[in-house]
Amino acid sequence: MSPGWEGRLDRRELLRAAGLALGTGLAGCALGDTTRGSLEDTRKPFKKAVDGDLVYFNWAQYVDPELLAGFEKRYGVKVRESNFDSMPAMLAKLRAGIAYDVIFPSAEFTQRLISGHFLREIDHDKLKGSDTVYAEFAQPWYDEGSKHTIPYTMYATGLGYRADKVSGLTGSWRDLGNADSGSRSFMLDDFQEGIGMANLVNGHDLNTTDEGELDESLDYLVDLKPKLRGITSDTVTSMTSGNAWLQQLWNGDLVNIRNQVDNPEDYKFQKCKEGIPVGNDTFAIPVNANHPGTALLFIEYMIEPENAARNVEWIGYPMPYQGGPTEAFEGLVADDPSINVTAKDLENGHQFRNLRGEGRLAWDRAWTEFKVS
Amino acid sequence: MDEQRFAIGLLLPGALWLLLLFAVPLGILLAISFGYTDDLGTAIYGTRLDNFEQAFDPVFLPVLLRSVGFALATVVLCVLIGYPVAYYIAVFGGRFKNVLIALVVLPFFVNYLVRTYAWIAMLGDEGLVNGVLDRNVQFLNTPWAVIGGLVYGYLAFMILPIYAALDRMDPALREAGKDLYGGPWQTFRYVTWPHTLPGVLAGTVLVFLPAVGDFVAAQLLGGPDEYMVGNLIQQQFFAAENWPFGAALTTVMMAFLLIWMVLYLRAAAREAREAAA
Amino acid sequence: MSTTETRPGTPGPAADAEAGARPAPPPRDFDRPRFLKVFTGVFFLVLFAPIALVVLFSFNSSRSLQNFEGFSLRWYERFFENEALRDSLIASIEIALLTMVVATALGTLLAYGLVRARVRFSGALNVLLLVPLVTPEIVAGVSALLLFTQVGLELSLTTIVLAHITFSISYVTVVVRARLASLNPEVENAAMDLGATRLQTFRLITLPALWPAIVAAGLLVFALSFDDFVMSFFTTGESPQPLPVRIWSAIRFGVTPTINAIGTFMLTVSVITIGLAIALPRLLGRRESGLGVLLGRENA
Repeated sequence: MSPGWEGRLDRRELLRAAGLALGTGLAGCALGDTTRGSLEDTRKPFKKAVDGDLVYFNWAQYVDPELLAGFEKRYGVKVRESNFDSMPAMLAKLRAGIAYDVIFPSAEFTQRLISGHFLREIDHDKLKGSDTVYAEFAQPWYDEGSKHTIPYTMYATGLGYRADKVSGLTGSWRDLGNADSGSRSFMLDDFQEGIGMANLVNGHDLNTTDEGELDESLDYLVDLKPKLRGITSDTVTSMTSGNAWLQQLWNGDLVNIRNQVDNPEDYKFQKCKEGIPVGNDTFAIPVNANHPGTALLFIEYMIEPENAARNVEWIGYPMPYQGGPTEAFEGLVADDPSINVTAKDLENGHQFRNLRGEGRLAWDRAWTEFKVS
Repeated sequence: MDEQRFAIGLLLPGALWLLLLFAVPLGILLAISFGYTDDLGTAIYGTRLDNFEQAFDPVFLPVLLRSVGFALATVVLCVLIGYPVAYYIAVFGGRFKNVLIALVVLPFFVNYLVRTYAWIAMLGDEGLVNGVLDRNVQFLNTPWAVIGGLVYGYLAFMILPIYAALDRMDPALREAGKDLYGGPWQTFRYVTWPHTLPGVLAGTVLVFLPAVGDFVAAQLLGGPDEYMVGNLIQQQFFAAENWPFGAALTTVMMAFLLIWMVLYLRAAAREAREAAA
Repeated sequence: MSTTETRPGTPGPAADAEAGARPAPPPRDFDRPRFLKVFTGVFFLVLFAPIALVVLFSFNSSRSLQNFEGFSLRWYERFFENEALRDSLIASIEIALLTMVVATALGTLLAYGLVRARVRFSGALNVLLLVPLVTPEIVAGVSALLLFTQVGLELSLTTIVLAHITFSISYVTVVVRARLASLNPEVENAAMDLGATRLQTFRLITLPALWPAIVAAGLLVFALSFDDFVMSFFTTGESPQPLPVRIWSAIRFGVTPTINAIGTFMLTVSVITIGLAIALPRLLGRRESGLGVLLGRENA
């Protein structure tokens, strides 16, 4: 048999030493590609024409499948679909070098991808219908001059609740812990949304990285925890199964919930007075896409008024384009317009920014401490 | 060819595969645990020990203990539930043995998530079970829901090895034990149990180890207090994008588990050898 | 394999109790097989309860998962019309089959070698064996991704299979080793005394005796691979993605009946496969059921 305890420890130490040696040898090297191409690569022009199948990478169920089928038919190409379930996961696959044609990053991730030369520039002049996008998106904070992307959907975070079950709402984020929800309150399992909410409640900037303010937010969250029944981003399931009566969620999720229950009028959305996070994601074409022409055609196809309107009705999120899509979403939430994201909301709403370095670590630490408390 | 060379020859392909395709990548990850993240969140190799310092922060201890506790409870329940079922099928199954054991495995061919969501539908406050009982018991978002989910997910891992061991066992041994010890429980205790111990051990390993690192059950069925080590590690890699710290946490957790597991296996194997002798 | 043949209905000599081709008479001692029976019955009931739900609601005419409103096949239509889903299903099955075959082979050999060889490094190897079981899937997935990208291997179905085999080997080894521990080496020695080479002995004596464990391990590996999400996500190319990856990504928007339809379909395929494994040889004229042969009834 193998040598005893000491022998095994030796091996473990050997492993540690090897790890250390490996680390020293690689010290300073990054894990995976941090940039994809050069600045010129991102600026290389391409024709808006079919140049192959569309390799599509998105959240699941985030585009009406009939639209995808329609695109296939119109241009005679196939849509090869892959899904991710979080932004970091998407980034990991992109960094691994897989050549997708069209992706849908969130605003913060768009900014990161652009700074790493991951995205190609898109000529809006070539993109029919790009002029119908809301004026607020002409100079987005994440994409200077809107050179690389065009928005896909927008969202707002608020409190979804069952008007027939919940009482004592005051229009504040604090309602999550204070309202009478029969102990069925949930919050999102998202560090940005969680700490962000606490920041807003305390009257601070959504993206603050001040240590004192973050401590305050952590305290608020830790106090809130015992009043919560769960922490989940699976908001649709928890509300439709009756598990949750009051929940921090995104407005589009509420639309999907209303679609699935027998009494949609009872499900309402509260935009809290301390401020609401708003955001959006974008259409983007990676720099190593093999079929950028097809991708551009796809984007153009998706923002056609009838298609966008149809998409809005299917996914339940508003798209910031005048005309068809705007009216479609208004129709969806006619009985509770607060679910919509209006121009005013975009103006007044708070947007999550990319946190860097120490600030990011501070947020992570706070969230971890909250989770383990 | 002597036994040694033959045996080594046989084990080499598997061993090499594990070495190349598992140990090496894990080495990469171990290396990164000494690293740090840069401004943009990219993981960089380094020679720092910060991550390990952080990993040993006492604030994580409850999470680790809870995970181990849940996993232990899962193992115990799996043995308590799985052994009788395996026994019934192996000893009394007769003609239907094959069908029965196939039935045990069958649910596992339905996607794990789909099954779990079906449980959520059943156990929800307005779900089937509460409907039948005509009450409003909170089953979900509790520690027992998590353990239940874990047991349900890993039960087959316990039943199959025990079944294989029981099935192999010569019924004549049980007969002999009967004659020797007189009662069914003594027979079980002195004959059947020691003989099937390797199967139980195999089941324990297959259930306990993955259960500690499980994150799905806690995420879907648990409440805010049911945060497990698997969720913590998941969070570092996904949400926090702090791969070095995630790697360090993983290393610490794995080392901790492996040490106990190896000790336990050696002790139990020794006992089994002595009992069967 | 045993050389004695038994005809059905003929009580064999007591020494043949080793085999169990006919149901062993219930040990007179156990006065409560009834308890075990009831227990097992309840167990199966609880085990299949959610499955029954999945199957039932896959035929629901409405979207609801709480109220069954009528019988309909529309979700199955949706599933089969969706080319991407079909491709994913086929990819998942292919991956699982390949993984099952290779991992079971490697794992069984590894188990045998570990038990029979007495070398200094077997301790380390034992630990190495346990490591995949302890490793959280996300770590395994990320490190596999890192390995493939550093080596320059393009992500595809192949990389998924490689990753799946890697984490499956340990499961096989653990299960097979348990069975191996209770095998009597005397039989192998006897065979070799009679002139068989080590290889022949392994093939004709050891392997058949290990069959139940091997089959059990194989089934386990298939189910694990078929169901895997995290590892598959990290090692998959752009298309087709294995089915669980699609399901996991989609399910956060709520379980749709289509997902239940997929689950039911997967179940049906498994039932048919296992049913065939049991019934086919019988239909083809052999007296023993296929699974019985597979599970090593010695008087097959």
